[in-house]
Amino acid sequence: MVTNKFTLRTENREGQTIVYVGGEFDLEVATQMRAAMEPLIELADRRLTINLQDLKYIDSTGIGILISVLKARHARKAPFDVEHVPSHIRKLFDMTGITPFLAKAE
Amino acid sequence: MTKERSVKLTVPALPEYVDLVRLTLYGVASKMKFTFEEIEDMKVAISEACNNAVLHAYGGEEGKIEIEFAVNDDELSITVRDFGRSFTIEENKASPSLHGKSIDEIQSGGLGLYLMQALMDRVEVRHEGGTSVLLTKKRMKSEETA
Repeated sequence: MVTNKFTLRTENREGQTIVYVGGEFDLEVATQMRAAMEPLIELADRRLTINLQDLKYIDSTGIGILISVLKARHARKAPFDVEHVPSHIRKLFDMTGITPFLAKAE
Repeated sequence: MTKERSVKLTVPALPEYVDLVRLTLYGVASKMKFTFEEIEDMKVAISEACNNAVLHAYGGEEGKIEIEFAVNDDELSITVRDFGRSFTIEENKASPSLHGKSIDEIQSGGLGLYLMQALMDRVEVRHEGGTSVLLTKKRMKSEETA
């Protein structure tokens, strides 16, 4: 078994920033992820989307960071959503109750 | 009833070693024929226990985490132990999960213990010269392997 390295890639589209988060999103990469999200949170006139299609693993640290981003975007009345959640990750989101907050909404 | 067998692992209490614990868990649980889903559940639980030790046990000083995997028939018991100052595992006391809450009420911390309890059959936390977390999961009996 190969370790699933954390990957982070940002794509800019018209009016939208998409952040692709892949591999293992855990305590080890928390600082890197927080630093990457900080400037993007402030861009309130753009939709911020986190795409999890290549995410292999997440723990409560990763979920906590998603909640922080969600709350920060909500406070700025800025659009935010999380898309393409793999099924075994979705199970954890459902368990913690975060799922309804991550869907696309204005 | 077969004799209990155990695998032990000691890692530095640092974030970059937690994936090594997950890899070992994967190896042990695969040998026991746990399903992919059960292994994924245990991976999160064991990481949460290790994260707590990494973050809280040694107050920034160097330390180690000892992990023991005890295999007993179709049950896996995992002990995650540190030797630091004992800490209270962080949890949102009222209701740890986010179910039924508004966006202003939810908090980003305290989900670790909740997840461990939701993902394992049994979770016991002890304080004895550090903190030890015992996580237990029984393998579902499948027709083919019975």
